[in-house]
Amino acid sequence: MMRKIMGSVRPLAYLATAPIAGVAGFVWSLAATVIVTLLAVTQLGGPAFLGAAWVTRALASVERRRAGWVLGAPVAAPYEPVTGTLRSRVAGVAAQPATWRDLAWLVVLFPLGLAGGVAGLVVAIVDLGSIVAPLWAWAVPNPHAPWPMKPLMTTVPGRFGLTVLGLALLPVAAWFVRTLATGLARLASALLAPGEHRRLVERAARLAETRRRVVDAQAAELRRIERDLHDGAQARIVAAGMTLALAARKLRTDGDAAPDVALARRQLDDALAELRRLVRGIHPPILTDRGLHAALAALAGDSPFPVSLTGPLGGSLTGSSGGSLGGSLGGSLGGSLGDERYPAAVESAAYFVVAEGLTNAAKHASASTGVVDIRRTGDTVHVTVTDDGRGGADPNGPGLDGLRRRVEALDGILTLSSPPGGPTVLHAELPCAS
Amino acid sequence: MRIVIAEDLLLLRDGMIRLLTDTGHTVVAAVDTADALITAVTEHRPDLSIVDVRLPPGFRDEGLRAALRIRSADPSAKVLIVSQYVERAYAADLLADGRGGVGYLLKDRVTDLDEFLDAVDRVAAGGTALDPEVVRQLFTRNARNHGVEGLTPREREVLHLMAQGLSNTAICTTLVLAPVSVEKHITNIFAKLDLPPSDDAHRRVRAVLTYLNS
Repeated sequence: MMRKIMGSVRPLAYLATAPIAGVAGFVWSLAATVIVTLLAVTQLGGPAFLGAAWVTRALASVERRRAGWVLGAPVAAPYEPVTGTLRSRVAGVAAQPATWRDLAWLVVLFPLGLAGGVAGLVVAIVDLGSIVAPLWAWAVPNPHAPWPMKPLMTTVPGRFGLTVLGLALLPVAAWFVRTLATGLARLASALLAPGEHRRLVERAARLAETRRRVVDAQAAELRRIERDLHDGAQARIVAAGMTLALAARKLRTDGDAAPDVALARRQLDDALAELRRLVRGIHPPILTDRGLHAALAALAGDSPFPVSLTGPLGGSLTGSSGGSLGGSLGGSLGGSLGDERYPAAVESAAYFVVAEGLTNAAKHASASTGVVDIRRTGDTVHVTVTDDGRGGADPNGPGLDGLRRRVEALDGILTLSSPPGGPTVLHAELPCAS
Repeated sequence: MRIVIAEDLLLLRDGMIRLLTDTGHTVVAAVDTADALITAVTEHRPDLSIVDVRLPPGFRDEGLRAALRIRSADPSAKVLIVSQYVERAYAADLLADGRGGVGYLLKDRVTDLDEFLDAVDRVAAGGTALDPEVVRQLFTRNARNHGVEGLTPREREVLHLMAQGLSNTAICTTLVLAPVSVEKHITNIFAKLDLPPSDDAHRRVRAVLTYLNS
C-alpha cells in the first residue's frame, strides 16, 4: 500500500509538468508552422524546416524522458539519420513519420496535458489538504460553508475527521493519479516511440547484416572443408596409390611387395579416419539419426573430463556413452530418449555450441568437470555449457566468432561469461518456432 | 634424370621421392615452398622440376606461378605441374609460350607408374604431357565454338591423344592402328581445323593446343 502511494509521486510530477509542456509544445508548434509556412516560399524554407524539426525533436526528447518517469524506462527515439545535400536532408526528415508524429504529440498534449494536469493536481491537493486539515482549516473562517463542510471545517473533531477521510481516500487518489499519468504517458509513447516503419527498417538492417555474416561464415567453412579434404583424405589416398604403384612394380620384378601393400592399407585407413573426422565436423551423423539429446550425450561421453547433462529435456542422462540411452524424457511421445526434434539448423547449432564449449574447456581451460544444460521455454531452446576451468576465454576468438554467426543467423543469441579463474559459461538461446 | 620436387605435403613428397628413386631417377632437391623451388632450380639446374600447383604460404597457385617464372628466366627449363584438381586456365597459362617442355597432370596419374614415367620422360625431352582430364575440359569448352564437331569419332580420339602429348607411334599403339591410318587421320584433322601440316611432332601438338585455347 505504502509503496503504491509512494509510487504515485512520479506520476504526479508527470501530471504537474504536463500543462507547462502542453503550453510550450502548443506555442512552439503554432509558431513553427507559421514561420516555416511563411519562409517556405523563400530560400530560407529548407533551413527553417530543418531548424524547426530540430527544435521539435528536442521537445519530443523531453517528452520521451518525461514519459519515462511513469513508464519506468525512457522511450526510445525513432529517428533515422539523414545525410547529403540540404535538399535531400529536408526530404529525408519530411519523409520520416517520426517528424510528424512528434508534431502531432505536441498538439495533442496541449488539451490533454492541461486537462490531465489540472485534474491530477486538484485530486492530489484536495486529498492531501484534507489529511493535513487540522493544521490549516482553523485559519480559514468558513461561516457560510454548506453542510457537511461547515462542521468538518469549523470544529476540531471535524478537522480530524477530514484527516481520516483523506487518509481513507488516499489510495483512491493515488490510483487516480497513476492511471491518468500512465494513460497519458502510454499515448506519448505510442506517438513518440519507434513506429512500425522504424522497427521494420531496423529489422531489415539487422537481417542484412546477419545474412552477410552467414554468407561469409559459409564461404569460410567451405574453404576449410576443401582444405581439409585436399590436405587430408585426398593426399592420403594419392599416397596409397603411389605405394601400390611401387608394389605392383615389385610384383612384376619379383621384389617383396608385402611391406608396400601393408603401408598402402595403413594410408587408406588413415584416409578413412580423416574423412570420418571431417564428416563429423560438417554434420555429425548421430544428430541425423537420433536427434539433439542423443548427440549431446555422445559429445558429453567423448569429453576427456566428466560432463553431466541436465535440464528437463536431458532427463537423468549423464554422458556415459551413446549406447544405453535409457531414462525418462518428460513430455515426449513415443518413449525413447531424444524423440524431441527441432529444426535441423537449430539442432546443429546447439550441437556445435556444446562441442565448442567442451573442446575449449578441455583444450584451454584445463577443466575437470562440466555441465551441459538444455531446456526449452516456449519457442526457445536454451543451451548452456559450464565448466570449472580457469576461464579467461576470448569471446572474439575465431571458434566462438564462427559459432556466434551461426547462432545469430537463426535469430538466436550467444553469450560467453569467462572471468579469469572461471567458471566459463557459454549460453545460447535458439528460437525454434515449431 | 636429375629432378627437383616442390610439394608441401610431406606424405606426398616422400612418396614421390621413393617412386622416382626406385625407378632410377635422382631427386636432387625436394622443397615445400615456391621460393625454395626457385632457389633450388637456380642452384641445381635439374633436367625436370615436378611442382605442386598449390604451395604455402597462400595455398593458391604459387607453384604454377613459380614454374612460369622459372620458365621465363630460363626458356629451356622443363616443368611438370602436378595437382589434385585440374583447371583449364592453369593449362592455358603453362602452354601460353608454346615452347613445350611442360606438363600438367593430376596427382592420381602418378599411380599409373608407367604412364607417369612416360610423361616425365616426354616433358624432360621438350614435349608436352597434359592430363586426359585437362584435355577433356579443353574439348568440352571448344566443341561448341569451333570445327571440332566436324571430326569423326576416330579423328577426335586421335586429337585427344595428340593433345595429351603422345607421338604418332604412341597413338598407333594406343588405338591399335597402322601408322598410315594415323597419319591419314592427322592430315584430315589439320585440314578440318584449318591448320597447316608440319613434320615436327612438338609443333603439331602446340598448334592443336593453341587452337584449343583460342
